Amino acid sequence: MAEASAARSLLANLHRRARFGFVDVALWGLRIAVVAVIAAGTAGTLIKGRYGVGDWFDFLTYGVTMGSVYALIALGYTMVYGVLRLINFAHGDIMMTGAFSGYFLAAHFDQTGFLRREPALAMLAVLALGVATSTTVALLTERFAYRPFRRVRGLAPLICAIGVSFFLEQSFRGAFGSGVHAYPDTKWQNETVSVFGFGVPVVEIIVVAIAVASMTVLYLIVQRTRMGAAMRAVSEDAEAAAMMGIDVDRVIVFTFALGGAMAGVAGVCYAFVFKQVYFFMGFTPGVKAFGAAVLGGIGSVPGAMLAGLFLGVVESVGPALFLDGIGIPAPYQLRDLIAFTLLIMVLIFRPYGIMGERMARKRA
Amino acid sequence: MTYHDRLIISTCTALVLIALAAPPAARAAETKGPVTDPIGVVTIPKGAPIQFGGYWVMSGADSALGIDEKRGVELAIKDEGGMLLGHPIKLNVEDDGCNAEGGQTAATKLAADPNAVIVLGPACSSAATPGAPILWKAGVVDVATATTAPSLTAPDRKPEYDGFVRTIYSDIDQGAADAKYVYDVVKARKIVTVHDGSPYAQQLAAVMADNFKKLGGEVLSVEAVSPTEVDMHPVLTRIATEKPDMIYAPVFVAAGAQLLRQEKDTPGLGNVPLIGSSGQMAPDIISAAGQAVVGYRITYPDVSPEAMGAGYPKLVKEYTDTYGEPPISGYHANAYDAAVLAMKAIEQVAKTDASGATYIGRKALRDAVLTIKFDGVSGPIACDSHGECAKFKPAVYEFTNADPSTFKIGVNPKKVWPQSSSASAQ
Repeated sequence: MAEASAARSLLANLHRRARFGFVDVALWGLRIAVVAVIAAGTAGTLIKGRYGVGDWFDFLTYGVTMGSVYALIALGYTMVYGVLRLINFAHGDIMMTGAFSGYFLAAHFDQTGFLRREPALAMLAVLALGVATSTTVALLTERFAYRPFRRVRGLAPLICAIGVSFFLEQSFRGAFGSGVHAYPDTKWQNETVSVFGFGVPVVEIIVVAIAVASMTVLYLIVQRTRMGAAMRAVSEDAEAAAMMGIDVDRVIVFTFALGGAMAGVAGVCYAFVFKQVYFFMGFTPGVKAFGAAVLGGIGSVPGAMLAGLFLGVVESVGPALFLDGIGIPAPYQLRDLIAFTLLIMVLIFRPYGIMGERMARKRA
Repeated sequence: MTYHDRLIISTCTALVLIALAAPPAARAAETKGPVTDPIGVVTIPKGAPIQFGGYWVMSGADSALGIDEKRGVELAIKDEGGMLLGHPIKLNVEDDGCNAEGGQTAATKLAADPNAVIVLGPACSSAATPGAPILWKAGVVDVATATTAPSLTAPDRKPEYDGFVRTIYSDIDQGAADAKYVYDVVKARKIVTVHDGSPYAQQLAAVMADNFKKLGGEVLSVEAVSPTEVDMHPVLTRIATEKPDMIYAPVFVAAGAQLLRQEKDTPGLGNVPLIGSSGQMAPDIISAAGQAVVGYRITYPDVSPEAMGAGYPKLVKEYTDTYGEPPISGYHANAYDAAVLAMKAIEQVAKTDASGATYIGRKALRDAVLTIKFDGVSGPIACDSHGECAKFKPAVYEFTNADPSTFKIGVNPKKVWPQSSSASAQ
């Protein structure tokens, strides 16, 4: 009996091995190659000792700041996908509208001197206008562009989203020109404070604080309010939620409003740090944030937050840590390569994202 | 599937493969009216316009470059009364976005017009690199107005660039002059260069670095950023670890402004000078960089009246009168001369028949462009056999005011090197 059982087990193993085809070998090769590059690069960089603790701290700080912005934008992608199964490719441009409106108010405050006299109030007002603008644009987009496609299956809603993206970009280009506008720069924003003995620009601390506060509020809304529960219900099964008496339209509108508000916060934070606005500014962070949403498990709110931060840090630290050590010249030219390699690796090996599994199990 | 179907599919497949595999057919000699030309003849019926193409960056952060050059061409055409050989001149302009994709698209569109006689522009080497071969494949000469990448007029350039000439200097000259300025005037001995991957920035940074090393300086590293990158902090932190005396960054407006703003916040780089180059001579650098632009220096051709051709002050006045503002960038004179060169060449080779139609041989036009010499508003124009028609006169400009409305070359930014007396001596 035991011999027969062993033979059956051997046959089963052989059968499994026979199914281990070329694609599996290639994927394992890719895994090994990426891990080898990371390990060799990290070892090489650390052995070279080119960067001190202060430099690594700076890389980390810049990464967290950028990652906070990615996370805020990614939330809009992931929430809309959760309730509508729509990838809102115009979301990066909705962020741009918030940054632009904030710029005009900030420039006005700068001219009148209000920005220097009452910096906190001025920044709050700029933030409020940015949030209001992005939320309004998001709601208008939902009402006039996406709602007519609500029951349409196929690629039409996605194409519509791309169309909305072009519409917003070109409208702002037509209205405000194609040049780059500089956000007002006040002295106190560039001052540094000591964190663990290292200097960190005040503006970056403010941006991270605003992002964390916004994400906390959003998380509480989603997890602790009736509307948040309704959002989660629609996200799980819109038809069942409707049968239980949930007004799905209202939930969708609320989701767009929340996503728009987060995009507004992101736009103004982005402009506070990088101090430039122009009509195409939403595209690249939008794509990266979409990557973060996928990385975190699209549809997952905590996933988007964590993945946004993770992407920002990897982009900032990665070129110095992984590429410098293996002698790649000008490693920061390849930071997008690192970000998108990360995305591709996740899509190949964990298509449901970092936090996606928990949600999938729950749904199951 | 019947035998007949298989035969048709096989034949079609074979034809497609042959078409793909075969080298592009050489343009055949053509005779039209009184003109015979090895690569083709353009016919312009009596009263019909002579079609000039133009491709420049007309949108985005670098649009001042393109708009300025288009205006230079328009003024040259206007000074000819808008007519050439009894035909009105029509300028068809495409936006190339200052990138390779845009250059390819714009050139393809211009080359598709069988009546296109000659094309002027672009401003960016990124656009010219794919654009010029597309135009020359269609037999259209391209007279560039501000593309300075050395490879475009190098002695070993590929035959597909034979139709490309430019009324602007090569960065071979600017790179050498920039290295001399940094070594002799700034007294920097250890530098880091930053480019954005574009042919212009990459080649200028490389030429400058080579010359700097020949002078005895040390290039600590060659860094690169993306042209649309906003977060420069990590790359600047990396640069700070090398402790350079100076950073040389011949990038365009958007990336240049971000480097400028963020460099001042980066620990270890607060007092390290950043020097840009000609791609940033536009009011947009002030808009984009804000207060950080004050004190910022860029290397640039000397466009002060004493360094330019005799007709330059008149051109500036005409420009200001026509467009209601002083020149918004520094290459309008080169563009003006490009248009003059094109018109002179057309006048030299065109022939008219009894019906009043005009005929222009394409190869003859290219040959004429290479032989014509004249004193242009930007300086002497005389092409060598590789299409290089101008010389570089070095200068350094410094921004003095953060208000974009004060942009005026010579005032903000003001010329700080060489001093006027030496400039006039050159």
